[in-house]
Amino acid sequence: MSDARILDRGYRRFEGERSGLRGSVRSLAWHTARSILGLGRKARYKIVPVFIIVIAFLPAIAFLGLAILIGDMLQGELRPEYWELSRFPLAVFATLLFTAFVTPEAIVRDRRDGMYALYLSTPLTKVSYLGAKVLAVICTMSLVVLAPSVFFLLGFTFQSQGPDGLLGWLGVMGRLVGGGLGVCIVYSAVSLGASSLTDRRAFATIAVILMMMGAFTAVALLVELAGMNDNIRLLDPLRLALEIPPRLFGDRSPDFEGVSTWSVALGNIGWTFVGAGTVAVRYRKLAAV
Amino acid sequence: MAEWAPPMVAAPLPEAPDGMVQVIGVTKAFGDVVAISDVTFGVGPGVTALLGPNGAGKSTLFRIMCGLTTPSQGEVRVLGVDARRDREVRGRIGLAPQQDGLFDRVSALRFVEVAAQTLGVVDHERAARAALDQVKLDADDPKPVGSFSKGMRQRVKLAAALVHDPDVLILDEPLTGLDPVQRNRMIAFFHELGDAGKCLLVSSHVLDEVARLGSRVLVIAQGRLAATGDYRALRNLMDDRPHRIRIAADGARALAGALVDRSLVDGVSVRGDELVVDTNDVDRFGRSIAATAQQLGIRLREVEPLDDDLESVFRYLVERR
Amino acid sequence: MSSVKPARAAALTYGLVIKQLVTRGRLVALTFVGVVVALVAFLVGRAETNGGEADQLERGVTLISLLGFGLLVPIVSLVFASAALGDMREDGTLVYLWLRPMDRWPVVAGAWGAAVTVSLPVTLVSLVSSAFLVDAGNGLVGATVLAAVVGTVVYSALFVLAGLLVKNAIVWGLLYILFWEGFVAAFGGLAAKLAVVGYTRSIIADRTGVDLELGDLPLASAVVVPIVVTVAVLALASVRLRSMEVA
Repeated sequence: MSDARILDRGYRRFEGERSGLRGSVRSLAWHTARSILGLGRKARYKIVPVFIIVIAFLPAIAFLGLAILIGDMLQGELRPEYWELSRFPLAVFATLLFTAFVTPEAIVRDRRDGMYALYLSTPLTKVSYLGAKVLAVICTMSLVVLAPSVFFLLGFTFQSQGPDGLLGWLGVMGRLVGGGLGVCIVYSAVSLGASSLTDRRAFATIAVILMMMGAFTAVALLVELAGMNDNIRLLDPLRLALEIPPRLFGDRSPDFEGVSTWSVALGNIGWTFVGAGTVAVRYRKLAAV
Repeated sequence: MAEWAPPMVAAPLPEAPDGMVQVIGVTKAFGDVVAISDVTFGVGPGVTALLGPNGAGKSTLFRIMCGLTTPSQGEVRVLGVDARRDREVRGRIGLAPQQDGLFDRVSALRFVEVAAQTLGVVDHERAARAALDQVKLDADDPKPVGSFSKGMRQRVKLAAALVHDPDVLILDEPLTGLDPVQRNRMIAFFHELGDAGKCLLVSSHVLDEVARLGSRVLVIAQGRLAATGDYRALRNLMDDRPHRIRIAADGARALAGALVDRSLVDGVSVRGDELVVDTNDVDRFGRSIAATAQQLGIRLREVEPLDDDLESVFRYLVERR
Repeated sequence: MSSVKPARAAALTYGLVIKQLVTRGRLVALTFVGVVVALVAFLVGRAETNGGEADQLERGVTLISLLGFGLLVPIVSLVFASAALGDMREDGTLVYLWLRPMDRWPVVAGAWGAAVTVSLPVTLVSLVSSAFLVDAGNGLVGATVLAAVVGTVVYSALFVLAGLLVKNAIVWGLLYILFWEGFVAAFGGLAAKLAVVGYTRSIIADRTGVDLELGDLPLASAVVVPIVVTVAVLALASVRLRSMEVA
């Protein structure tokens, strides 16, 4: 008779509650958001996201500070519209930096270090994996695109300079949130589309910069120098997405005077589909190895 | 936590040991992590195995030897000079690093040829072909090394390290990824080079490999040099651990009683015709076992030390830390 | 066995780095960007002008300086130059050039030469085509060639050094291009003199006679200073290569 005995086993079946697909998506989105923002990682990974978030808030803080210090003097023309905050050069710069430098982290690293295959060995499918990533990207990008405007509105409200009446206030807040989310969705699609094409984060960053800055400069030149129709601006995703908030407020920015709201909507939907389509095609072909 | 820093007044370095490679009081710290701590040894011609678990500091030590990184304290001399400062000596060192990176877009021949050219070898193509032949790779294979298997890439690295016929060869885990036949061939080749007067330092964390590389070992654990020398001699130095010996004999039970009676062993277990004994005085045991058996009229069929191998030495040195 | 002569070391490094740098993906992507620049130039060139040749020249200069020297030249240089030694540093292959009986400066010079060799055709073909397509006369073509060469040479040196100094040199280089060259330099003064874009614009402005923002340096300074900076940066890179810890 054999005297072999197993005294201990390294493997233990998980006996706790299983959270299923929804739990996996929530968990992946949470960890992706933390990874994007550099939370739980060394200090050097936090530098860029924190720097970007700080500069995104600067215009809101500046105007709020002025409102507190000089109060009523800021009324009238000096005071920006709520939707204008996200169009200040510093805010646009912050949004561009976030889209190009931070967002690619969400999907590029998983493919590079093999985590993608590991995720697909869980209840996650390709669709739910990408869904979790998109959720994480939009939520974190909201910190740069949406949060400063909301902070601005809340600040003015506490200073008794906000919109009149609860309904008015809710209307402004709703449009700010809707506009901010719209911008986040378009930028996330563009950024994730570019990021899906390469396994190197740096190359994804360059692709996003070239697409956003390159298109912005080229379109501006075509309008200014070649006298082309304003509708050519639909090829500029950087400015086109930023046109969503003013349209929700029934306004339009000077550069887009000649572009109809329907064109703006279709243009943004088009860019979102191009980005999302690129991700879909790329991940459909991508083997989980 | 404060970062590790060398003491303000440096302790005097230990006396330099002899050897083609001399490591003298070397300490290396990365921030507050001490990777190598006050290591001193010398290595002469022949094959010496650097043995240690993963993360013990083997690769760091090799990098310091080659001058790729500076020690926080102490000094290293290769052929009498510091490889970081002396340009000429770099041409007499062959390094096969642990990391897998190669110039992936060139062929094996071109990779080794470039190594030869950058090492100042005049007839570089012939040298490259000879080196590739030594590691049994086809020099005329046009495929880029980026498409090679792990084992083939490993052999390309070895060929590049050998191509200039260096006096000192530093090989970091060179057998990783090789199949058993290639492994045997490489080990035999290392011995040939060692016999020819080259100094080979070969690192590994695989005990079986090290045992076949030769008996001379440097054992490194947690950044400290745990032992150096012939591992069989090291076993004899392990005074606080009894030697375990298996004995096959006709009258195993009677023999066990006699051994205990005469205080030749500290412990014994018997199973059938076999007994396994523990003794702290292996010399006295060795002198007495035959006589004891003879007196009892017992025929000894086999006497085999069970823990006289490298694994036992390694476990002893590493586990008690 | 003997030391490798500097010229030989530089040539060997050059050949090796070129082979590593030229990948299909990089070339296709950057050529595509170049084609887009040329396409925009073509559309601008076809547009009617009210001010005749002078207006056409001004439009050409604006286009070349914004798209060419604001984006194309720095980014193409960044992609190739930061990878020249930076990729080797990150994937551990630098050891095959470091642990050799060679001086350090030829290694740096060879890598820089390789980066310039690969970058220049991409930028020159696109920008020279653009200068022709915008139909603003030969003055702009000559100015573009000179500024592209100067810009590529100095950016490549800066980004070779960046590859030896930091991990993810591309990301830091992009931040430099966007933040310093594109944002801080716009304030003019000392900031513009510390940005390459001030020199490339000055070359264009001087050679074409078009007034260009930040382009107020004399031609001699706009050419000589970047060359001096290139030499100094390459010397720094050599020192860095000698003193760095190699993985």
